[in-house]
Amino acid sequence: MSYAILTDLTRCIGCQACALACKEINELPKEDGALKLSATTWTMVEKRHDVFIRHQCFHCLEPTCVSVCPVTALEKTQEGPVIYHEDRCIGCRYCIMACPFEIPKYEWDSVLPRVQKCIMCYQKRVSLGEQPACTSVCPTGATVFGQRDQLIAQAQQRLQNHPNRYVNHIYGVHEAGGTSVLYLSDIPFDQLGFKHARSDEAYPKLTWNILSQIPSVAGVGGVMMFGLWWIINRRITLEQEQKKNNSKSPDSNQKKTP
Amino acid sequence: MKLKLPQLTFWRVVAGIIYVIGLYATFLRFGKGLGASTNLSDEFPWGIWIGFDVMVGVGLAAGGFIIAATVHIFNLEQYKAIARPTILTAFLGYSLVIVALLFDLGRPYRIWHPLIMWNPHSVMFEVAWCVTLYTMVLALEFSPIFFERFNLKVPLKWVRAIYLPVVILGVILSTLHQSSLGTLYVIVPDKLHGLWYSPFLPVFFFITAIAAGLAMTIFESFLSYRAFGKRIELDILVGISRVIVVVLSVFLVLKLQDLSHRGNLPLMFEFTQESVLFWGELGLGTMLPVGLLLIPKIRENERGLFFCALLVLLGFILGRLNVSITGMLNTETYFPKWTEIAITTAIVTLGFTIFSIVVKNFPVFPLEDLETMPLSAHEKNPVFSVRLVLGMWGLLLIAMIALALAKKNELNHQVPQAALLNRTVNPLEQKLEYPPPFEFPPGKDSPGLVIFDHEKHNEYQERPDCKPCHVDMFGLVIITNVPAITHEMLDKGELCGKCHTGSGNENESFGVTKEADNCDSCHEEENGE
Ligand code: SF4
Ligand code: SF4
Ligand code: SF4
Repeated sequence: MSYAILTDLTRCIGCQACALACKEINELPKEDGALKLSATTWTMVEKRHDVFIRHQCFHCLEPTCVSVCPVTALEKTQEGPVIYHEDRCIGCRYCIMACPFEIPKYEWDSVLPRVQKCIMCYQKRVSLGEQPACTSVCPTGATVFGQRDQLIAQAQQRLQNHPNRYVNHIYGVHEAGGTSVLYLSDIPFDQLGFKHARSDEAYPKLTWNILSQIPSVAGVGGVMMFGLWWIINRRITLEQEQKKNNSKSPDSNQKKTP
Repeated sequence: MKLKLPQLTFWRVVAGIIYVIGLYATFLRFGKGLGASTNLSDEFPWGIWIGFDVMVGVGLAAGGFIIAATVHIFNLEQYKAIARPTILTAFLGYSLVIVALLFDLGRPYRIWHPLIMWNPHSVMFEVAWCVTLYTMVLALEFSPIFFERFNLKVPLKWVRAIYLPVVILGVILSTLHQSSLGTLYVIVPDKLHGLWYSPFLPVFFFITAIAAGLAMTIFESFLSYRAFGKRIELDILVGISRVIVVVLSVFLVLKLQDLSHRGNLPLMFEFTQESVLFWGELGLGTMLPVGLLLIPKIRENERGLFFCALLVLLGFILGRLNVSITGMLNTETYFPKWTEIAITTAIVTLGFTIFSIVVKNFPVFPLEDLETMPLSAHEKNPVFSVRLVLGMWGLLLIAMIALALAKKNELNHQVPQAALLNRTVNPLEQKLEYPPPFEFPPGKDSPGLVIFDHEKHNEYQERPDCKPCHVDMFGLVIITNVPAITHEMLDKGELCGKCHTGSGNENESFGVTKEADNCDSCHEEENGE
């Protein structure tokens, strides 16, 4: 059982109430006006071609950011949210570089910077059994919180009941291996700039396929090199012994030194 | 060792200036943070400190494990003469990579975290471990030189006893992390340009690192000769150049095969900035030196050999930068700031300085193994010639012109400028769940509570419009922060006074002046009045 957020773009009126609620609950400064996602704006509504699109972290089922972080500073919780442990982060910014949705942001102006992004109100709401601040204030019910499978069923229901209202796709069911933030839209998603995230396999598999070879590479390589050394060394020793026997000079079989 | 004041030479003055600028840049980096000292951004989080200092630095230091393996595992004794300078270069290289990382990490004092907080799924975790261990291995491999210098017999014996396993460990660790630097980019299939993205990046990184490491030994040998009058026999270097030809040919075949397999060969022939950079890497930096080295007259000539090694190195550097910077998404937003360049330059210079100090004080070049040549003024310059310098500048010029003419970056994910969209849905035609009515805090002589009702206010409007009250996106807060609204404020046209001007016009909202005599429109009537 994991939670998710469903955002229905046909219902979003662009009031930014979610963006405001997010700033309030996370005590983020409001001066920057929330024109795009940043370290101080974790969600905002962007108007693209007459459509209001709410941006936030997708909380991928198999998050790229979690897989690349060398120190497990990012974590996919059981409940669904992908959260950040500030005290572990070394600031390598691999998560920012790797996230297919370009979500995590960095506090560039700070001397001790943190990675910042939507954490689905994990500590303050979801882990206490409440819904996130942003979904709780939406005046149209465009963005709602719930169990992921129930939300998907609900979205499918809407697609069935209003086939003319929606494009027949729930963004986030398969994208990037599945995400915990889902979208419905009346305009094809690619025209709205939604990423063509690969859906055949989640991103972390790409590198795991390679990383999981390491033990065998290391083992086989080590044994092979030792074998090679042994064979070559043996041959040289034999040659030297032969020479020694031939010339009978006792001093030519000295051990090699590095 | 007598303490002597170093003489002022031209290069020392240059180095001094570089260090001073580097120190100031260091102060900016740690005093003001990454934002102030770099041109990095959320769009482009990895710059030249990663793309050049780490990616290129580690690759150029690859000679260390190759030569160590050649001498100690394959027992090719004739290469022993270059083992020590190469290992020294590698050890310095890795140490400086770690220094560069301290600049790049947002929290450098936590650089040790990967050693105790494990995430085996992270390529960077693996690189961190391998680089740490390999730097220790290099220190061990270098230690006999140190022990010999100070005549420490006992530790020397110990190190020699474990030397072979250490060398083997070094080869394994190097193989792993040289390739893993490529694996770092396997997770960004949508962000790296098709000419470079491939699941085989680790293989390419490994092969090119071998070529670069070997080219570096040739390059270094000539520079050492120039600086210290110590040189490795030409035979050995020619032998190395043969290996480079084989390695680079393998790389060429695999790379082209991979491109055609992924259907990306046509990208090579589009005249874009990427394809120009690609040809710089593959044409000038790989095919050209391979072709030249196949000609015995060039291969066996000092200048020819040096020129080819230089080409291989430049090709390698370009190749790494192509993956880490110019081929990446949003590269057009990034050009290194002067601070980034200053620190990189200072780190490279530091490498040269330490190298020359160590060479002067430790038995790095075992003299008996080397041809020592007297440095006559004329001979001091065996590899730099006018033709060589002109040749390099010529190539660079051609590349620059091509780059300037080529089509701008392609990999630029922008929202498609779709033809005007026909929205059939109007989100405003739906029932809104307004926030609950809102109570304004009452002032001193308020005749009754003022309650703002979203629903009522929107009923009077043709379409819900939040803007008049929510001035900017977060204007709501401004209202809630007001302790109590006074009529003076409203008279000045602030807050409710914006709309409730009371001009008498039928479409306008009613006035809220004290004289308007309609208090109960807003104020709840108090009980008993
Ligand atoms: S959208 Fe990006 S930051 Fe959010 S969970 Fe997925 S990979 Fe992580
Ligand atoms: S910047 Fe921090 S959270 Fe992101 S990958 Fe690096 S250590 Fe992990
Ligand atoms: S879930 Fe919480 S953190 Fe995420 S956007 Fe909503 S309010 Fe902000």
